[in-house]
Amino acid sequence: MKKICSLLMICCLLAGMLCGCGSTDSGGSQAEDGTTTITIWHDKEDAIIAVLEERLKVLAPEINIVFEKKSDLTEALKMVGNDPKAAPDMYFFAHDKIGVYAEMDILAPITDIIPKEELDQYMDSTIAAATYKDEIYQLPIYYETLLFMYNRLYMDDSEVPETTEELYAYMEENTKGGHYGFVEQHSTPYYAAGWINGFGGYILNEDGVPGLDDAKTIAAVEYHKKFVALMPGETEYATVNTLFSEGMAHSTIAGPWMIPTVRAQGMDVGVAPMPVIDETGTPIAPYMGVQGIQVLKFAAENKKDAVEQVLRVLMEPEVGVELAQASGCAPANEACYELDEIKSDEVVMAMKETAESAVPMPNIPEMDVMWTVAGNFLTDVNMSGKDVAESAADAQKEAEKLIESMQ
Amino acid sequence: MSKKVKEGIGLTFVNIFFIVICFVTLVPILYAFSVSLNANNSLLSSDFSFIPEHLTLNNYKAVFTEEPILLWLKNSLILAVVTLVLSLGTGVPAAYVFSRKKFPGRKAILRILILLYAFPSLLSMTALYKLLSPMGLINTKIGLIIVYTGTEAVFALWNMKGYFDTIPVEIEEAATIDGASSVQIVTRIVLPLAKPTIAVTAMMILIYVWNEYIFAINFMTGADTYTLAGGLYSLQATEMSGSWPIFAAASIVVSIPILIVFFALQKNMTTGLTSGGVKG
Amino acid sequence: MNRKKKNTLFAYAWSAPSLLLILLIVIFPILYTGYISLTNMNVYHWNDYEIIGLENYKDALFVFDNGFIKAFLVTILWTIVNMVLQLIIAFILASMLNIRKLKLRNVYKTLLIFPWAMPGYVSILLWKTGMFNSQFGLLNQWLASVGEEPVRWLNSDVMAFICCTVVNLWLALPFMITIIDGALQSIDKSYYESALLDGATWMERTRYITIPMIRAIIAPSVVITVFTTFKQFDVIYLLTQQVGSKTGADIHTIMTYAYENAFITNNYGYSSAISMIIFIILILFSMVTNMKPKEEEGRA
Repeated sequence: MKKICSLLMICCLLAGMLCGCGSTDSGGSQAEDGTTTITIWHDKEDAIIAVLEERLKVLAPEINIVFEKKSDLTEALKMVGNDPKAAPDMYFFAHDKIGVYAEMDILAPITDIIPKEELDQYMDSTIAAATYKDEIYQLPIYYETLLFMYNRLYMDDSEVPETTEELYAYMEENTKGGHYGFVEQHSTPYYAAGWINGFGGYILNEDGVPGLDDAKTIAAVEYHKKFVALMPGETEYATVNTLFSEGMAHSTIAGPWMIPTVRAQGMDVGVAPMPVIDETGTPIAPYMGVQGIQVLKFAAENKKDAVEQVLRVLMEPEVGVELAQASGCAPANEACYELDEIKSDEVVMAMKETAESAVPMPNIPEMDVMWTVAGNFLTDVNMSGKDVAESAADAQKEAEKLIESMQ
Repeated sequence: MSKKVKEGIGLTFVNIFFIVICFVTLVPILYAFSVSLNANNSLLSSDFSFIPEHLTLNNYKAVFTEEPILLWLKNSLILAVVTLVLSLGTGVPAAYVFSRKKFPGRKAILRILILLYAFPSLLSMTALYKLLSPMGLINTKIGLIIVYTGTEAVFALWNMKGYFDTIPVEIEEAATIDGASSVQIVTRIVLPLAKPTIAVTAMMILIYVWNEYIFAINFMTGADTYTLAGGLYSLQATEMSGSWPIFAAASIVVSIPILIVFFALQKNMTTGLTSGGVKG
Repeated sequence: MNRKKKNTLFAYAWSAPSLLLILLIVIFPILYTGYISLTNMNVYHWNDYEIIGLENYKDALFVFDNGFIKAFLVTILWTIVNMVLQLIIAFILASMLNIRKLKLRNVYKTLLIFPWAMPGYVSILLWKTGMFNSQFGLLNQWLASVGEEPVRWLNSDVMAFICCTVVNLWLALPFMITIIDGALQSIDKSYYESALLDGATWMERTRYITIPMIRAIIAPSVVITVFTTFKQFDVIYLLTQQVGSKTGADIHTIMTYAYENAFITNNYGYSSAISMIIFIILILFSMVTNMKPKEEEGRA
């Protein structure tokens, strides 16, 4: 028996030692000296966060702001969302997840903190994107759409295609010897959506109904195939962007975040409006993502003043200007577009033009499954060479089944 | 004489064989190494050679200066060492009694334990979160250590038990007659004989903790609590930023400590029963 | 009688800390998943979920359609191919590492298990972009340098299966080599000496001494590896099926299939039911194939 006792004691001792070396640091709580800590999760590049950090430090010095970069932000939020000990107070992310979190009941409507009238200063499309079931859940900061970019070393400003057929002609002529006339992540839904939307088709409509077997969606995918044939077999980010940034692809459709990288490498990169699809007369209409702040419920309830202060700092037009300069972000605040700094920014203005035809990403929970199903559909058609109509019907069935099993 | 020559030739062939095999195994790693020394900012360079044209150590410098890698290293080290101590501390006695004692439930427990590996653990994260959160163990190293120790416990138990089974009971019986206590038997007789299995088990646990990132990034928030693997995961080219050469350099840096441990443990793994002169 | 009782108590006391940890970290999540599988916990009932009985299991049966059966067969093939190759290669390498006069043994061993020293996602990323990429991958660069056409490694089913197997072997062999090498150390060298005196060949020694001796020791690790190979997700998913970088190969194991058909729905009740069913299938499967660590034989 003695041995058992001693063994148990050793275990207790070990456990005790462990408790000593573990650090307990709960995310965002009231400190003793009265300053409030606001923790903000995000997935953004450093340049953007630096701007926000700097402004908040100057304009809200009494609040201790902690920005934490989370790699698996969306999954982590599902897990910790209603655990005040581990969850952040806000998060900075695209608008497309608000439906999920609103249904999970972990988000507070922004209008709980900022009166609705004051949100009028934002572009209507960004507020529309932030609205789920008649409540606004996001304070928009900036928005982004894909852009048509070209490398001036190969593609002259006069050569920039205005229509998709011109683009196709250019691709046919220049795709040879390891060079590509045009590349994009052709089988990735976020990228292919521009073609589908441009044809008037849709991946998912506002009512949560998938549109993969819609005649227009099928027509778009069918038409897109001949472009894919002149692109590399890979659809993933690294390949496509390396081809462009290494000067092996003359043009691409990519996000604005590409621009600082390729400029740093010395590329003379041009940004042009999206080519117009010949068959429909509308330009390629990519998804628009609105990046902004979402406030978690318990933070809105318990730290209302601090939260309001932070939001108000971020609402100032200057934030938009600084972000545009730091990382080419297009501000969501309408007032910014009155300012010369913004008006003279080629990238931001191109994004604004694209945004006019862009479609906000659906923010309803059903979209979560569509990324996978639509991806499978595009891969089947573009990479495995399956029949478009047949694959579309299968994918549609699959999507409906998955959406049903979400309930 | 001729036998010696024959043996020599044989050995040469074996050595050549291993050199080739090692090279083949290491191709992806040599690739990463070469990328990490490359001055151009691309993993996907179109004309690749193992010796980069523009050699640079800047990526390694960046790893140490721009990223809090030393902090991550410290976190990983603490986690690894404590998990190791705890795992062996709980695993060795358990493996010993499961190998030596007959008691009700023994066989059933052993069978069940191994079947637990059949569970697809994609969802266990949420369950563990629900378990740790009320105890206030989220965001603490203790929480993570408990998870790691528990995850590796089945392997530790089974692996060491299997080896203990091969150690003849007779030696222990002799010691018992001499009046040695159970603790003494384990520490003085079983452990020295079981060095290889303990080395293997230790290595396994160490590698697991070192490379685990899913729990690490989900149960620990904040960049200052990251482990090496978790930090590396966050470094991993997120679509917008991310530099491949720095990532490659960081991957190499992360694996160096483990390699050193590998090498150090090798010695222990080869002195087993042979040196004890024990026969069954 | 009393002695026996004391013995039992002693055994439980010594194994208690370990078993307790297993209970918490390994068994609790299984029980919890079992419980959630009986509820309607999903995005729409995140906090106010309630027990709905076997509803989820009823729905889950729809997942087990033709696609699932195909994935199941692929999984079995995947497991067999991987396990056979793993055991053979690891055994040969470990045996050769144990050749007595091999001086550089420790260097080789360390180099061979290098792949183990990197987090899995790093290795898979390296393989995917560094080796297999059709534009920049090393393999295609080598092909190009000998004048061959580039190959799309991960595009077709068979090729992708082979590539995944190579990567999986690369990731898993270090463990197997270490385990078999460790087991080989436990064999008393005197057996070989007497066998050599009797003139036994290498094959005979392997068959009659080595394999029977190491079987019991490596059995648990082999069973564990069988399960992990069966459940393998990362290699196949990250190489071929990741959202946004699918390659066109249509290989699914039960895990990637379950992932695409249940886990992405954010319906935890439903996904839990599917997890439980896979768990049960695996256990039944292991019973049918009588795959259990034969511990009795090990006790000489």
